[in-house]
Amino acid sequence: MDKKTGVYICTGCSIGESLEIESLSKVATKEGKVPVCKTHPFLCGPEGVALIKNDIETEGVNTLLIAACSPRVNYDVFEFDSSCIMERVNIREQVIWSQPANDEDTQMMAEDYLRMGLAKVKHIDLPEPYQGENMVKTLLVVGGGLTGMTAALEAAKAGYKAVLVEKSPVLGGWMNGLFKQAPRKAPFTTPEAVDIAELVSQVEANPDVTVYTGAEILEIAGAPGMFDASINQNGTTVKERVGSVVLATGAVPYDPAKLDYLGYGKYENVITSQKMEELASKGKILRPDGKEVQSIAFIQCAGSRDQEHLPYCSATCCVESLKQATYLKEQNPEANVFIFYKDMRASGQYERLYQQVQKDGGIFVRGEINGITEDGEKNLLIEATDVLSGATITTEGVDMVVLANGMVPTTALGEDIAAKADTEEDCKEDDGPKPEIIRKSNLLNLAYRQGPEMPTLKYGYADSHFICFPYETRRTGIYAAGSVRAPMDELSSVEDAAGAALKAIQCMESSAQGVAVHPRVGDMSFPDFAMSRCTQCKRCTVECPFGAINEDDKFNPLPNPTRCRRCGICMGACPERIITFKNYSVPMIGNLIKSIEVPDEDEEKPRILVFACENDAYPALDMAGINRLKYNAWVRVIPLRCLGSLSLVWIADSMSAGIDGIFLLGCKHGDDYQCHFIKGSELAEIRLSKVSETLDRLDLDSDRVRMDQVSITDYDKIPALLDDFAKRLDELGPNPYKGF
Amino acid sequence: MDEIKEVSLEMREYIISSGADTLNWCMQCGLCTNLCPYRQVPGELSEVFNIRKMQRQGQLGLEGFDDEEVLFACVTCGMCQSNCPRSVEIIKNVRSMRNTIVGAGILPGHLRPVAGSLHANGNPWTGPQEKRADWLEGLNVPAYTEDMEYLLYVCCTSCYDTRSQKIAKSVVKLLQQAGVSFGVLTAEENCCGETIRKIGDEDLFTKLAESNIKLFNGKGVKKIITTSPHCLYAFKTDYPELGGEYEVMHYSELLGNLLKDGKLSLPGEQAKKVTFHDPCYLGRHNLVYDAPRELLQAVPGAEFVELDRAKNKSLCCSGGGGRIWAEVPFGERFGELRINDAVKQNADIIVTACPYCITMLDDACAGLEKGDVLKVMEMSEFLCESLEK
Repeated sequence: MDKKTGVYICTGCSIGESLEIESLSKVATKEGKVPVCKTHPFLCGPEGVALIKNDIETEGVNTLLIAACSPRVNYDVFEFDSSCIMERVNIREQVIWSQPANDEDTQMMAEDYLRMGLAKVKHIDLPEPYQGENMVKTLLVVGGGLTGMTAALEAAKAGYKAVLVEKSPVLGGWMNGLFKQAPRKAPFTTPEAVDIAELVSQVEANPDVTVYTGAEILEIAGAPGMFDASINQNGTTVKERVGSVVLATGAVPYDPAKLDYLGYGKYENVITSQKMEELASKGKILRPDGKEVQSIAFIQCAGSRDQEHLPYCSATCCVESLKQATYLKEQNPEANVFIFYKDMRASGQYERLYQQVQKDGGIFVRGEINGITEDGEKNLLIEATDVLSGATITTEGVDMVVLANGMVPTTALGEDIAAKADTEEDCKEDDGPKPEIIRKSNLLNLAYRQGPEMPTLKYGYADSHFICFPYETRRTGIYAAGSVRAPMDELSSVEDAAGAALKAIQCMESSAQGVAVHPRVGDMSFPDFAMSRCTQCKRCTVECPFGAINEDDKFNPLPNPTRCRRCGICMGACPERIITFKNYSVPMIGNLIKSIEVPDEDEEKPRILVFACENDAYPALDMAGINRLKYNAWVRVIPLRCLGSLSLVWIADSMSAGIDGIFLLGCKHGDDYQCHFIKGSELAEIRLSKVSETLDRLDLDSDRVRMDQVSITDYDKIPALLDDFAKRLDELGPNPYKGF
Repeated sequence: MDEIKEVSLEMREYIISSGADTLNWCMQCGLCTNLCPYRQVPGELSEVFNIRKMQRQGQLGLEGFDDEEVLFACVTCGMCQSNCPRSVEIIKNVRSMRNTIVGAGILPGHLRPVAGSLHANGNPWTGPQEKRADWLEGLNVPAYTEDMEYLLYVCCTSCYDTRSQKIAKSVVKLLQQAGVSFGVLTAEENCCGETIRKIGDEDLFTKLAESNIKLFNGKGVKKIITTSPHCLYAFKTDYPELGGEYEVMHYSELLGNLLKDGKLSLPGEQAKKVTFHDPCYLGRHNLVYDAPRELLQAVPGAEFVELDRAKNKSLCCSGGGGRIWAEVPFGERFGELRINDAVKQNADIIVTACPYCITMLDDACAGLEKGDVLKVMEMSEFLCESLEK
């Protein structure tokens, strides 16, 4: 593409009054030799936009550099023909709003940003969408319970085909085992008849939903838009090509055998909540010895919220026990129901069921169970602390004890396998991030180099970033919904199913268009591997947090563009720098760095390069400007897609360019990470630890490179962070390579 | 926590069957305990009396609620009940828990003479039955007959206590001045029974109430004026359970209406700063807040000032629930706080409208030696001062 560059400088929002626009223009015209450079007092207004459009149409300008506000605003206004390259130079938030007006240093900063912008567009090629072969828009749903069936139906309603795979011979899942379901309708005070059969018949009658019961997934190979699923139905293998996957395999009850301290296995009348459903379904609630049950003690959190068992709340047990209390009360209003609990968690409308059980005489005891014993007639005596009366109490003998034994996601079951490469010698030399644990739960059987299932995360669940992006997993195109995603009740599962189905549809549509689905929605670029230079080091395959890259027998990476999230972590990982995006590459950033004008040592104007994560740190810098917080004038900011895309060569580039210090601003990592790409900032930190030795060897103090974690709300801390770093650099003195 | 207490479902059922219908509704949030006036005072009782815990012990039938000191501490002020997020009828639960003990014939020492006198004399003040109508001496009040509009029912306290008799007399004067058609049946009446029911003696209450109902019905009573808010509560809330249905008003409600209708005039000027203590049974239990204020503000020259804790937030005098007969050490009495509240407002007079409150406030005012700056008056007495110019 023959580039004809146009630079457009906005002088509105007091940019014109704060900078010498004429000398700024000269950077474009004299230094950059751009053929078109115009200023406008209101570039985002209709007239300003028309000016640019006119240049595109009549002057043949096809590469636009807009020096105005932050790229985070007005992106819809500055949207031009897709055949044009368009870049923004942020001289508002990150220059005039954060620096004193009409100051020499402010002017230098603006000019540098313009130079950097010019260097950047020089290296950008127009991305072309990735087109896979035989792409389809069929949704695969694994699990035929409430969540799975709802997801399949929601997809069908939205006009998509769905394939539903259920392990057992019938649809319905967990709900099939219930006597009644928790109330979903006003007045929410009594349980309702289980209505799962209705959903089953809807699914079975829907021509767009193909159901495989008694079936399991043998393998899922491929990538979004073109997954190939092998389904084993009663011994016969069926192949289906699908676009995306909803994992709705649900949860199983916590193994009661582990609850022997509550008498399970020891006393025959200590049963699980599942057993209680079964007994109630048979009519009169009877004990195995035939005695009609007149009193029950429910033990809540049997395993849940217990560090020795399940550290989390299973979310549904309180309501389930309340529901089961009504089973007995309905048979005999005089029956005694004890509920021993840690906290009653009957939120929302379930409060009404809770109140009803209270009003019907349920005896609620908050406290710890000290022990359960059996009397001669196989009745059970419970000793517990009653926090509310401050006493240790014992009950009279009750006929039965029901343990509310919580739930375990199906992803938590199975043997652990460490992701393949991480155990291999060649990757052991570095202390990379903790290897992902993958558990052989036999749900998806992914033909991924990284392992057959989702990475197993906290408590065995498979989330990606649940606060910001529910349903996302660490495998693009595969969405978890229902109790396999988090402990949840029926209503939440239904909501989850619809949400995950829609995410899955977005994924199929984006994949078909050849653009990223998440979180860089619509990004057309994807990594290109210059395979002739690959040394099969596997860094890219290991470090990709999303398992996007497979490898062949000879350890050559096999990228799957539709699995890719375009974060560039592979690019930063590659020691040979063979991975590039059309609009993001190692040389591009290198040239950006070189374009910065570094003053001589005697001018006493040091330069600090900030590599800022686009998702949090860069917005935080913008926020600082929006709040007119002034920060250090030596700073030059380069946004990165993810700090994980940081190539170590950029550190060397900066140092040899005479930059005095480099500050990496990334997202919070660790257990409560905020990184959009899971471990990008963590990877950057690990890479950085390796660079310090090199710096020391070059007689460059490793303090010249610093890293910090900021979130968008930390904007007020930005000035102090930068000043503190500048102070340290001042102590170290100028970069000795300056001027070389 | 060492001793293990046994849950007694039998006791729990017994309490519930004694009237604690809403005992199970309690979710133990503890709002009741925090709002309880006992939190405002120091002392041993304040430390042991925890209404939340008492409900809890009742729910499990655990021993502890029956501890005499705890069980009979509640003043039934209704502060907890009117704020309960689960609408638990806490006072009814207290009453029922007391009944489980009192029904078995066990009564705290200080309440035994009260019950005895109610049995023998029809009043709790050990006053002879034949002297019940002595307060009428010198007044020209006819016996109630069916052609009269109202029966004036005078509280036992104002029948026998010489200080309290003034209340009855003042009420009569005001009603007469306003031309109200009323008569009395004092000599034949028994105590309304409100307080003995709160104490937990359900049988004695029933006996008293039934005899009154028989009397009222026999005389054709339709409308009743009470001098005490406690009698008002009994007639309005308790008696219908036994078939006694009347239109009942506290005298302040009637006088308030008469004032609005121009039938009651209060021309006499009283250049005083006046404040009002809302009796629990007039305010929280019967929701009469405006009438007393309108009456006080109608007095020429009187400057009305509210206490900090007023209307539904009024602080109990501690005379309800049988506590009027309890011995409470000085320094721990709610009435003292009330007197201080009034002194803080620089009021000359603290007015109230309940014979129990008068007893408790008089007592506290004297104890605090505030008599020189603050006068305690019943509303009818204060209004009487303005009857003439």
